[in-house]
Order: sequence, then structure tokens, then C-alpha cells
Amino acid sequence: MKKLAFAIFDKSYIIRKGLASIIEKIADIQIIHLLDQEDDILNCIKNDNPDFLILNPDAIAQDLLNKIVSFSKKTKRIALLSGNKLESIPQHFVAVIDINSPQAEILKNLNKLIGEKEIKKTSYNYQEEISPREADILKYVALGYSNKEIADKLFLSAHTVVTHRKNITRKLGIKTVPGLTIYAILNKIIDIDDTE
Amino acid sequence: MILTKEIKMADVILKNYNTLFILKRFGIELGFGDKTVEDVCKKYKVDVDFFLEILNAYIDHDYFPRKHLQTFSVKLITDYLQKTHQYYHQVKVPEIELLMQDMIQTCYTKKDNLELLKKFFGQYKQELLNHTNREEEVVFPYTLAIEKAYLENNPDKSVLKLMKEYSIDIFKDEHDNIEEKLTDLKNIIIKYLPQPKNSELCYRLLHELFILEKDINDHSRIEDKVLVPKIREMEKQISLKLK
Repeated sequence: MKKLAFAIFDKSYIIRKGLASIIEKIADIQIIHLLDQEDDILNCIKNDNPDFLILNPDAIAQDLLNKIVSFSKKTKRIALLSGNKLESIPQHFVAVIDINSPQAEILKNLNKLIGEKEIKKTSYNYQEEISPREADILKYVALGYSNKEIADKLFLSAHTVVTHRKNITRKLGIKTVPGLTIYAILNKIIDIDDTE
Repeated sequence: MILTKEIKMADVILKNYNTLFILKRFGIELGFGDKTVEDVCKKYKVDVDFFLEILNAYIDHDYFPRKHLQTFSVKLITDYLQKTHQYYHQVKVPEIELLMQDMIQTCYTKKDNLELLKKFFGQYKQELLNHTNREEEVVFPYTLAIEKAYLENNPDKSVLKLMKEYSIDIFKDEHDNIEEKLTDLKNIIIKYLPQPKNSELCYRLLHELFILEKDINDHSRIEDKVLVPKIREMEKQISLKLK
């Protein structure tokens, strides 16, 4: 199952670390980045594409916020606020965390947020076994065929092959072609002599 | 625990045995009695501040004193990185290969599977070697040249040509995911490898792979978080100066 990736930006170490230790109690969440430099926010979105970014909208310049918004199609933003700013959810944000609220409430709100249907569909996948179709694709990958060649052989579009490969890698936890080849041999999808 | 100069060197290891590998890299040998970190570093002519920053960053990832580490000279940083390369090639990789060889020799039923793993690790070893060679032959000399030009009042214009042909951002882009194959190997052993008879050796192998992975990640972190920003800033200053 893929965990939801969170990034937290705040100048204060205590806040970053404190928030992370609370959020990490939710099993489906993984903290990928604690950021303290404004420059790092865009890099983080570009390179790691987290599911959520938590930050205080008042702590950064408006144009940086605009950039963040335009950069991150997938990344949803959660505002970290306190006091009288809490009354409404600021523009470009999906939720608010009140910095003064007790742990249970923060966890409850986050659980509600990540439990939303749309996210569930894309990120939750309990099925880890590869399907027969994926096994077909894996066979040709392990034998050293390119995506294009596999697409031709199986009458699929190259795009479909890429999608299958992504799913295979996610399910097995194996990224490289030689690694996939070993998996295929161990599971008798191909024979070791085929690879010579 | 944050390590300081006044702590006894023996306590550094007693509290965190992982630091042993790092001590070795600085050429520090065991047997230091009750000497402090500072005394031991003096004896081995090691820059104690740099030593402490590397250790602290290794023990606690959050500690990472990016700004502070960047005050050290490029030479100090690349020398250390180079020593970690040697450690991979001369110590860690041969250790893992030996373990795999042992597994093959003492395992009568699943030899084929283990041969596969060994071959896979052989490919990884080559990848790692290419990676470190590239750093030592291209990247490190470049960073040293940049530092030299940066420190001079009137740097030679030739450095601009150098910067045109290569830049630290190129390095950052080509700095590929050297740990991908290692992650695959771990996953294959943990999830899919039919367990050989001598599973004890298998556990040890996994343990070694985890150690190597942690060390490589630590190494990359120093490159990405310390060396790259430091050089990028120097490149910027040099361009300004020579304008």
C-alpha cells in the first residue's frame, strides 16, 4: 500500500518536528520532507511531488505561494494557523490545522481529510499480487524487451505498458530491470536459460 | 546526544557503535584510553570541528548543520567523501561479496538463486565504481578549481571556460539514484527469495546491505546538501567578479 507523502514547511524546528511526530502516528502517512528554507519548497514539490504540503500561508510571500499553487497540481495544501486567523480556510488551501489544538483533534481532522474518496481511489491499494496481465508484461521486461517492443507484441499502446510497469514496480518494490529479472526467475515467470 | 570536543572518544563509540566506521575514515585507531575527542583528533591531525559535524550529522539526520558544514574548505569535504569511496570499495563491497560466496558454498539446494543475486550485486558494484570514479575524476577536481578561483582576488578568466563546460548543477542532475539496485536487492531477499538452509548468513547479508545503504545515503546527503550549495554559491560569486 502506498503511503501518503507529507511535506512540512516552517522556520521553527520545534514546530516542524513536533508536527511531524504527531502526523507520523497515522499509519498511512509518511513524512518525506521537513523544510526550513523557502527555496526548498518548490524543489520538494518538483522532485518528490508530495500529496500534502503543510505550511503557514502568512509566513511566505504571496508570489511564492502563487508559484507553489501553479507548480503543484497533485499537492494539496494545508494551512498551519493560530488564533483569530482560523475562521475560514484560506484560498488555495484544503484544510487548516490549528496550532493550539490538542493532538487528538489534529489527528481526527487529518484522518478525515485523507479519508476523502478521491484520495482513497488513487492511493490505497491493498492488492499486492501482480495480475496475469502484469506477469505477461514482466516476462518481456525481464527478457530485455523495450516498452515499444512489448507494446507491439501484446497489441497494447506504449502508454499502457508504462502504466503496467509502474504498477509492477509499486507492487513488488523492485525498480530496476535486473531486479525484475531476478524476481521473474525466482517466480518461474521466465527460465534462467532464457536470459542468456 | 550531540557530541562535543570534551566528550571522551571512548564514549562516542560506546554510545553509538556505528561511528566506528567514520573514525576509521579519519584514520583514527582504537585504544584511546580516556582521551577526549579533541585530544584524539589532535594526535591524528584531524580537524576536530569538521570531525564533530560529520559525526553529529551521521548520528542525527535532523541535526544537519548545513550552514556550518559549508564553512569548511572544499578540500576537507572532498577528502572525506573520497575516503568513504575507499571504504565502500575496499571494505564494504568485498565483505558483502565474501558473504555471498559463503552462502553459495554452504548452500546445497538453492545455488542458482544465490548465483543470480551475486551477479546482480556484481552489476551494482560496477555501477557504484563508475559513480565514484566520475566523482573523483571530474566532480571533485572541478569543485577544487572553483574554490581556488573563488578565493583569489583576480581569478583567471579560464575558470569561466571551466564553468561553461561543467557546473555543479550538471553534477546534481547526473547524480543518479545509486541506491536503487540496493533497495531492489533488499526487497528481493526479504520478500521473494526462497530461504536457503543457512539463513543465518542471509540475515548477515541483509544487515550488511542496510549498513551500506545508510552510509551511501549519508554520503549523498553531504554531497547534495553541503557540497552542491557551497559550490553553486561560489560559481555565482565568480561570475559576478569577472563580469
